[in-house]
Amino acid sequence: MRLLAFLRSFASAFFLRSRIEAEMDEELRSHIQSRADDLERSGVSRTEAERLARLEFGGYQKFKEECREERGGFWIETVWTDIRFALRMLRKSPGFTAVAILTLALGIGANTAIFSVVNAVLLRPLPYPNANRLAMIWSTWGNETRGPASGPELIELRKRSRAFEEIAGIWVTGGTIIGTVEPEQVRLALTAANFLPLLAEKPQLGRFFAPGEDRSGAAPLLILTDGLWHRQFGANPGIVGQTARLNGNNFTIVGVLPRDFKLLFPDSRMADVQVFIPFLNDLEKQNRDTGYIRMVGRLRRGVTVAQAQSEADSIASQLRGEAKEYAEQSLRLSVLSLQEDDVRSVQPALVSLFAAVVLVLLVTCANLANLLLSRSGSRRHETALRAAMGAERKRIIRQLLTENIFLGCLGGTAALGIGWVALKWILSLQPEGIYLLIAAKLDGWVLAFTLALSILTGILFGLAPALSVARGDLVEILKESGKTTTTGKPWLRQLLIVSEVSLGCILLVGTGLMIRTFTSLLRVDPGFHPQNVLTFQLSFPGSRYGTVESLTNFLKELRTNLSAMPGTQSVGGVSHLPLDEGLGNWYSYYWPEGAPVQQQNTVMADHRSTLPGYFRSIGATLLAGREFEDTDDAVHTHVAIVDDTVAEQIWPGQDAIGKKLSVEDSPTGPFQFEREPVVVIGVVKHVQAHSLTSKGRGQIYLPVPLAPRPVYSLVVQTTAPMQTFAAYVQQAVKKLDKDMPVSNLRPQMDYVEKARAQTRFVTLLAGALAALALFLACIGIYGVTSYSVAQRSREIAIRIVVGANSADVGRMVLRQSGLPVVVGVVAGLAMAAVLMPLLSGLLFGVHPSDPLTYAAISLVLGAVGVLACYFPARRATKVDPMTALRAE
Amino acid sequence: MTGQAQLLPGTLDLLILKAVSLGPLHGYGVLLRIEQISRGALLVEQGALYPALYRLVRRGLLKASWGTSDNNRRAKFYELTAAGRKRLRQEADGWNRLVAAIASALGARPEEI
Repeated sequence: MRLLAFLRSFASAFFLRSRIEAEMDEELRSHIQSRADDLERSGVSRTEAERLARLEFGGYQKFKEECREERGGFWIETVWTDIRFALRMLRKSPGFTAVAILTLALGIGANTAIFSVVNAVLLRPLPYPNANRLAMIWSTWGNETRGPASGPELIELRKRSRAFEEIAGIWVTGGTIIGTVEPEQVRLALTAANFLPLLAEKPQLGRFFAPGEDRSGAAPLLILTDGLWHRQFGANPGIVGQTARLNGNNFTIVGVLPRDFKLLFPDSRMADVQVFIPFLNDLEKQNRDTGYIRMVGRLRRGVTVAQAQSEADSIASQLRGEAKEYAEQSLRLSVLSLQEDDVRSVQPALVSLFAAVVLVLLVTCANLANLLLSRSGSRRHETALRAAMGAERKRIIRQLLTENIFLGCLGGTAALGIGWVALKWILSLQPEGIYLLIAAKLDGWVLAFTLALSILTGILFGLAPALSVARGDLVEILKESGKTTTTGKPWLRQLLIVSEVSLGCILLVGTGLMIRTFTSLLRVDPGFHPQNVLTFQLSFPGSRYGTVESLTNFLKELRTNLSAMPGTQSVGGVSHLPLDEGLGNWYSYYWPEGAPVQQQNTVMADHRSTLPGYFRSIGATLLAGREFEDTDDAVHTHVAIVDDTVAEQIWPGQDAIGKKLSVEDSPTGPFQFEREPVVVIGVVKHVQAHSLTSKGRGQIYLPVPLAPRPVYSLVVQTTAPMQTFAAYVQQAVKKLDKDMPVSNLRPQMDYVEKARAQTRFVTLLAGALAALALFLACIGIYGVTSYSVAQRSREIAIRIVVGANSADVGRMVLRQSGLPVVVGVVAGLAMAAVLMPLLSGLLFGVHPSDPLTYAAISLVLGAVGVLACYFPARRATKVDPMTALRAE
Repeated sequence: MTGQAQLLPGTLDLLILKAVSLGPLHGYGVLLRIEQISRGALLVEQGALYPALYRLVRRGLLKASWGTSDNNRRAKFYELTAAGRKRLRQEADGWNRLVAAIASALGARPEEI
């Protein structure tokens, strides 16, 4: 009942506002008239009666306001009036409005952009059914964490686990597909039959693999991504059931994946898999210690990752007890939620950037609060007048807050534009490894975030000024009447400057450290010289290059052809280019030949299949011995080249040349692994193969005939420009094999730049944010100093009259305005020293408390701060005493 | 007019409900009725009546409709709703109990203690 009455009054307040307003007026007037009628009857004149009636009634406007308030639904109307009032106020001072909205748009816009990135990468669930129940299962072999699992491991785990309802596996490699156009080298995934159903509801065409279709002897089937279906098969809707040639074999196409399907795995190379085929292998019959499968599982409903982990621990211990391969390599299993694992490498960077952008927002708020305080002089007069006319203090504060929130929302609207542009810019940086980023957009969540932020900002920057305006003695303020006075508390403004400067200082120090990190990355010696090195990748289908001979012959001929190309200085090749993360890494245990059992299976090294001329071409440093030659084949002595890391690990202080090493190779063909002794014929300097910042495993290089691989990258040191080179390479390869596609034609420098990409991305963004904060702080310092100079022009004039010269005045202003800047810098440096260690994960080659950075930042900030004070200070020296004194 | 009393806070609503319970009234009528039934002892500030009327309407204790007054002026008439009648009863009871309690407290003599 009461609710109904409330709703009715609320609704009528909202919809029938003007009618109700008129009725209220009519009712009150009717009262006064009735009273006047009575008074007239008692003998006074009509005019006198009406005057008396009005007088008896009391404050007409005041009661009307109270009526409105009592009527309910009142606040909407108040807000509406306040907003209209705010609009009028803002229109009256366009300069202030423009600066405020611009400041807000920059501050909130930066937040909008960064939040849309954080939302896309860290917050939004992965686009998979039951994404929160998907988990990666990594194998830990010896001291190698996050390793792949072997076939038997996957089968055993699947058999024993109760925590997972499905466990699937995938292995990514390269291949060549021939559809209806040119042969294309694609990234190819071999999967268990249950892999794709974990990640998509259903294909857009056809079906997924059925259970059992991944066994050995099953018919070769293939599923395409939407992209490849368009590119190679013209989006033919009748594609299902047709055959495609993949790596020289016929595969029946059974399905096309949904348009937006993407493998978002903790391994960036998976993101562009285009062809899926089943394992076509009995996994349980494979070697227990040949790990290559990435395992992903779906937890049963209600099972936590921690529960799955403890189950995995006990399964791993069972396995260690059952097979010596697991025991020797002390197998362990770790379960990690897919989403968390995906963002593992970017989370620290994004969290730091988000923190940075929140600092920018605080600087924005401080700036606006300052701006508002400067205006509060004139606003105080106006609000005092309103208070004198009967407005309550609460009401005035509410009005000022509404005004500021409204301003915040105006800024927020402009911020959406800025945020959109900023996001476009961020996306154009295309940081490697943040592949979830492509999904970043201004969606409903981002809009809601921006709105919330606008309102919050409005409250944050508006509260202090509103309180300060609404306070104070009415009479005093009204007496001042329009005179410019030093109103409010000067210390509040100083405090805001201190906080602005110190927040900006933290941001600048962080950015400074990132820049130092980036320059360290530029100076890193990766163990090779990428200048003038051009590379491309070829893949060798087993159907035509199944024998070691066919592979070596092809490579030898290609090498000869490329050597003949004008500009070529040296030609080589390798199975994995340094810093190219596009292929699954190959690594295994090694030990000196004849080592006791307990020394075996302890250290791993990457092993690379290498062509003669590789080290020369890529500019690696041969420390001892010689490079491979064409005569190093499987028939003669088995040889290897090791890097200094391996040499020092097993023969510290000794000459490695001529020593024998036990390694895994495959002299009879790709994937036919066996363990053999090889003789070390050379030692090269360690090459940074996976990242510029961490050293990584040692490397063992084997000649092609000992370790044939399905994919090779050719490395050519040449003075030829990329375009000439590309054309020549295409032709040379086509001449040898018309069905072989050339892919990844690019300078080796590209891979180096990719390795710096994330740091570059963070540095650029941090730089942009720091520049923004610096800019805002400058405006703040400038504004406050100018204001105080204007306020004190009378005092300054008196000083000049009594004999101060303009230099004294300038110094005084500089000293007083510079003090909060100095305090801010000192406070900022102190806070930075506390906060920066949190960034250590992002830093490289620089200590979080690097004195050089701190010193440079205080200089920059100090200089900028002084500059921002300087111009107003100079204006102070130009004060003409006569004008200034007469103005009052 | 003898001895006028200031209204206690909160009693205005009760007086309005009582006044209106005797028959629908417009605002000025409410004022006159209160003067009349309190025999001129209680004075209501004229303008202050209206916020109270609006408040009572919002709470669903009164309902309002437009009509014509005795001297032919358009005026808004207020009458009690069922909820208003109930509230008047409760408040009147409460008030009477309070008055009785205060009166007995003030009338206490030493020998009664």
